[in-house]
Parts: sequence; C-alpha cells; structure tokens
Amino acid sequence: MAQARLGAQKPDKIEIADYEPIRSMRNVPTTEYYVPGHRTCGGCMPALAYRLTALAAGPNTVFAGPTGCMYVANTSYLCGPWAVPWIHTQITNGGAVISGIAAAYKAMIRKGKYDGEYPNIICFAGDGGSSDIGLQALSGAMYRNHDLLFITYDNEAYANTGIQVSPMTPYGAYTTFTPPGKVVPDAKPLFPKDLLKMVAAGHPAVKYLATASVSYPLDLMNKVRKALAVKGPTFMHIHAPCPKGWSFEAHRGPEIGKLAVETGMWTLYEIEDGHVKVNVRPRKWRPVKDYVATQGRFSHLTDEMIQRLQAFVDAKLADLGLEAEPPTPVPPVAG
Amino acid sequence: MPRKVRIAGAKATAEAVKAANVDVICSYPIRPYTGTMIELARMVADGELDAEFVHGEGEHAQLSVVLGASAAGARVFTGTSGVGATYAFELYSPIAGEFHPVQCMIANRTLDPPGDFGSEHTDALSARDQGWLMGWAASPQEAYDNTLIYYRLGEDPRVMLPQFPCQDGYFISHISGEVELADSDQVEEFLPPFNPRNKLDPRQPVLMGPQCRADQGAAIELGRAEAMVRAREVIPSVIADFNRVFGRNYSPFLQEYMTEDADMVFFGQGAHTVPARLAAERLRKDGLKVGVVQLRFMRPFPTDEVAEALSRFKVVGVLEISNSFGAVYDSGPVTAEVLSALYYAPAQPKVLTFLGGLGGENIRLADYYEMARAMKAAADAERLKKRVFWLGFEPLHVA
Ligand SMILES: Cc1ncc(C[n+]2csc(CCOP(=O)(O)OP(=O)(O)O)c2C)c(N)n1
Ligand code: SF4
Ligand SMILES: [Mg+2]
Repeated sequence: MAQARLGAQKPDKIEIADYEPIRSMRNVPTTEYYVPGHRTCGGCMPALAYRLTALAAGPNTVFAGPTGCMYVANTSYLCGPWAVPWIHTQITNGGAVISGIAAAYKAMIRKGKYDGEYPNIICFAGDGGSSDIGLQALSGAMYRNHDLLFITYDNEAYANTGIQVSPMTPYGAYTTFTPPGKVVPDAKPLFPKDLLKMVAAGHPAVKYLATASVSYPLDLMNKVRKALAVKGPTFMHIHAPCPKGWSFEAHRGPEIGKLAVETGMWTLYEIEDGHVKVNVRPRKWRPVKDYVATQGRFSHLTDEMIQRLQAFVDAKLADLGLEAEPPTPVPPVAG
Repeated sequence: MPRKVRIAGAKATAEAVKAANVDVICSYPIRPYTGTMIELARMVADGELDAEFVHGEGEHAQLSVVLGASAAGARVFTGTSGVGATYAFELYSPIAGEFHPVQCMIANRTLDPPGDFGSEHTDALSARDQGWLMGWAASPQEAYDNTLIYYRLGEDPRVMLPQFPCQDGYFISHISGEVELADSDQVEEFLPPFNPRNKLDPRQPVLMGPQCRADQGAAIELGRAEAMVRAREVIPSVIADFNRVFGRNYSPFLQEYMTEDADMVFFGQGAHTVPARLAAERLRKDGLKVGVVQLRFMRPFPTDEVAEALSRFKVVGVLEISNSFGAVYDSGPVTAEVLSALYYAPAQPKVLTFLGGLGGENIRLADYYEMARAMKAAADAERLKKRVFWLGFEPLHVA
C-alpha cells in the first residue's frame, strides 16, 4: 500500500457506537424506508442506492436531498417515497443544511426540547451537488465535527438537467456538454476529481470514509451502518450507474457496476481513522476496454484514447497499492 | 426588573437574541453586522446563552444552516450585511416558501461598487420580494425590540415567515443609545416557545420542499402570499401586546412625528428619520410645517395605512436610501411603493424623491432644510418639472 494512512493529523481517536452488521443478504431487514412511488428511469442505480441506504439506516433517520435526479424524480407531484422525514436542499448546500439539522438536534436535546434519540442525519447528494457546486458546503459539514453522514451517489454526470459533464465524469465520456467532435475527438478531455481523497486529506474531524457500489449491496449497507455508528462527520461515495446518462440497457446496471470494480474504474475501500482498507480486490484485473464497451457514452473512443483511460486507472490503482499483486479475495463486508 | 444600558444597535440585537433563547446561531464575518455576532459568540462561550454556534463557510451556508435547524424545530438566528446579503440570495425563496421562520438581521451596507463601508438599504431591499417580513429600526432600542417582535410575528402559526429586521449600518449598529433590556418574565409573556407543527422528526415523518408539476406550483405561491396578508392582519395585535408587556408606544406600521398640523412630510425608514425629526422641529421656526412619517414595515407593506396617512399632506418627500436602477421615474423602491399605494388614495399629494445616504454618505441637517424648501416650492407650484433628485448632485429645483 502506497500510504498506510490518508489524512491530516487526527488528534482525536475514532469513536464507534455498537451497531449490528448485516451478515448476509438473507439477513437484510425487510422493513423498507424508501418505498415505491417515484419516477426514476427504469434501472436507475442511484434509486437502488437510496433504497439500500434507507434500509441500512432504519427508522430514526432524517434525509436531506439536494436538487438532482434523487430529488426531482423522487418527489414529483408533491409526494415522495420516504417513510422517514426528508427535506429538499438546494443543489448548492446539502452539507450546510444537514449541519443545521445536526446543530438543532444537539441543542434541542441538550436543552430538553426534544426527548427522542439523536437521529441519523444523512445528505444524499449527486456528484454535481458534492464535487462541484456543493463542494463548499460538503467541506464545511466535514470540517465542523457535526454528527452526520454525507453520501455522494455518483452517476458521473449532471443527470437531471439532461446529462452534462461534472467533475466526476470519466475521461472520454460523451455528455451533452462534451460532445465528441473534430476539435475535441475524445469528448471529455479531463480526468475526474478524487472526491474521497479530498475529503479524507483535508478534514481532520472525519474518522470514517468509504466508497461503495450498488452492485455490492451488503458492503454498501454495512458501510452505511458503520458510518452512522462513527461519531462525527462521515463520508461515503457510492458508484451508481445511470442507464440514461451512460447509455446502456436498463437491466445491465448491476453488471456494469461490478465491471467497474473488476476493471479498476471504481474501487471499494474504506478509510477508518486514517487506515486504508481495500474491500474488494479482484483475482485478475480486467481491461478497461471491457467496461468501455458496455456503454454508449464511450462509443466514439479510439484504442489510443482507451489506452489513456487505462493508464489513468493503472496509476489510480497503484496509488492504492493495488497494482498487479497476487489476488487476495476479501469478503465484501465492511467492519 | 428591566434594566437600562447604553449600547449600540448591534449589541442590542445580540441582547434580544439572548433574551429569545435561540437554539442555533450561524455566523460569517462581514461588517457591520459582525458586532452582533461577536457579542453572541462571547455569550455562548461564557455560557450566558445555551445555543449551538455554527461557523458557516459563507452567507449562503449561514442561511442554509439556519434553514435546516429551523426545519428540525429549533429557534435560529443569523445575520449579514451588504454583499453577504446578496451572496445568500438563493436561500431566501426556499426559506420563505417552506415556511421556516428564521431570523436574519441585516445591518445595512452598500453593495460593491462602491465597495465602501457605508450604510445603504439596497442590500436588504433587493430581497424584498421573497416573502420575508422586513422593516427598519430607527434606534438601538427599536433594534432590540424588533428582534423580539419579529420572532413573535414570524413564528405565529398564522404567519410562519422568515424575518429581516434591518438596521442602518453604523448609524444604528454602532452608535450607542439607551436601551431597556427586558426581564425574563416579560419575554416569557410575550414570546411563546417555538413549536412548529411540521418538523423533521423521525417519529412523525414529513416531506419538505418536494417537487411538483407546473400546475401545482401556483397554489404553493398563493400560500406564501396569503401568509404575508395574514402577517399584515396580525401585526397590530402583536404590537399592541408588545406595548402592553414592555411599556412602549409603537404604532404598528407608521410612526408619525409632528404631523398634526403639517402640510408636508418626510417619509422614510430607519436611521435617517431621526435627523429628519430634528429638522422638522427646527423648520417650524422658519414657518415650514414639516412632519415625519416613519415606515416600520416594508414587508408586508401597509398599503391602506400609507395611502390614508400620506393623502393628508400636500407634499411627501421620500427619503430613498436605496437604488433600483431604471425604476419608475428613476426613483427607487420605496418611492415605487408609495406612488402605487397613493394611486387609489382619497387624495394624491405631490411626491418628491430624494436619493441620499447612498454609499453611506451622511445626510446633513442642512440637506433636510434644503429638501424642506424644495417640498414647500412643490406645494406652491402648479406643475412640477422635476420630482426625483440625487441629493448633493443637482439643485433641488422642482418647478
Ligand atoms: C443553483 C442551481 N444551478 C443549477 C441547477 C440546475 N440543476 C438541477 S438538477 C442538476 C443536476 C444535478 O446533478 P447531480 O448533483 O450530479 O445529481 P443528478 O441529477 O446527476 O442525480 C442541476 C445542475 C439548480 N437546480 N440550481
Ligand atoms: S437519469 Fe440516471 S440517475 Fe436520473 S433517474 Fe434516470 S437513471 Fe436515475
Ligand atoms: Mg450526477
């Protein structure tokens, strides 16, 4: 591993309350808190990420949802699919609104104005609402040591406005703001930000961060549970394929999410108290080419461009200490 | 026992926030409102006030933090000035539209340019159309009182609207005056605890701010409009109650001074109405019967009261401490409201506009005398050639 620890000095020790990990898919609780009654696209993986998050978090939860697909497509017609409280936030300020909710509960419980238990406070923000226009609010929330969880569901574009490029859009992807053309044949010429590392490296109050993928539901749910059990601000970055934005058939989301992990386009890991732990390490890395081939947004890429993408992925894996090592299968369970 | 102290408006506001026992405060530095936050930070640090003090990462965050906290059921306070007020603009409509009665004091400051530190009302008035209660204090005492009055009004279940209690930067925020601080029994009697019907309580789930179809939108906006209308209806009883509990003598909407025999009046809000009163007194010696009408609420705008009051006079001189470039007659937002209110009034006075105090410049007593002479000339003139003036930049020749 290139770095055993990631992050600034962390003077306080991590504090984790007792929580119950979900041992297998057969033990997943059956009471849902994100229920049918929305109009996301068929095969929408961000919606599945929401459902899994809500399942793991349970009833004592408050969600905040910045503008994006998981606001617009979930709450059309003045109704929404949550069985727990939910509040819309602007795309700009999810982190700040949950900071306010957290501060309110802290004060109200201390002053005897609320006699319930401190709730799980979760912001469920898109990649645009996290890595771009909402970055300042995210940073503020992570910095101030509120007890809350910020989740980025990453569909790698501003999807709700009709699929525009965001800082999380991969190199080479077509979006309506990055069409491939004579002058810019590779569509999106830039490489994405590393949001998790940004949060990890610069926010000493954050003791737990994790990536996750909807294609690894058990891992995802357990990471949510753990993040909620850790005292203070925590952060999760969930890879969530978008059939409309990436242009693939609606039923292929789980498969494409898996392929992302198997090619190294996405990596499942967590950082606990500065220690990096990779959760899923494929036996053998598949070439990025296989992943690219499943999605229309990459259909214009030449071999040379795919090679650039592969080189980026190789470097990213090397940074996590994952280059061509003997494969060690790690069970996909956090904690 | 209530207790009298000499403090400036910024500190007076902090004292009132403490008296209101707020739960969550969110700060960001910008002069001159900072005076209030510095005081609150000290109170929280010293344990005088039990509140969460959140350091927002900007004004946009300040308004977002208090939105979230209010939605959870907390009484909240924040504040800003000048470009801070415009930086936070995105949040004004969601806060009002979702009926979160947050309080955001504004100690006025000019926007950039000119980028100076002076007081001017354009910062707050730019946000006048978003569904917030808004009005100006003309003394540190009024700044103190308004904070309590606005919490009571805004949190009234019939209203549930956010509030901008405004005070002129420096003129009010940083010049001391005598302030009577309430005792806790008075506050308890006047201001009930904040207990909204809908909050983000997992034991009773609600949705706040969901999307809707275009044909569902108008009804939601009508709700906000009706809340503002109800606020106008509730204000007189709240002010009467305040006067009773605290022994004050406020009129609900318009504070009049030397108007009984006046045939012309200065009409304005906040600090500039104070020298206007002094000028009115002195001008009597010159035989000029000038009065002052102080507008206490800009939102809701007291249309009937303004129409009725101002139609008694021959000339109204609007002290326009704000800009609205390209507005009707190239005047400003207060003039536009006054003219509209007077359209259906029993009689129409002549209305002059004096754009002054912009960039925070002082309006001197001599300026008030000159304005009064122009108002007198307007009263005597058959027709007016010019009605809108930039004080100090052009002669005040009306005919
Ligand atoms: C201040 C502001 N600017 C722009 C928009 C338009 N807008 C609505 S949804 C959206 C896309 C959000 O993208 P992301 O956060 O990635 O969520 P997704 O839609 O992909 O789920 C944008 C840009 C907005 N609502 N507010
Ligand atoms: S565009 Fe993508 S993220 Fe949005 S609802 Fe459709 S599938 Fe889901
Ligand atoms: Mg997105």
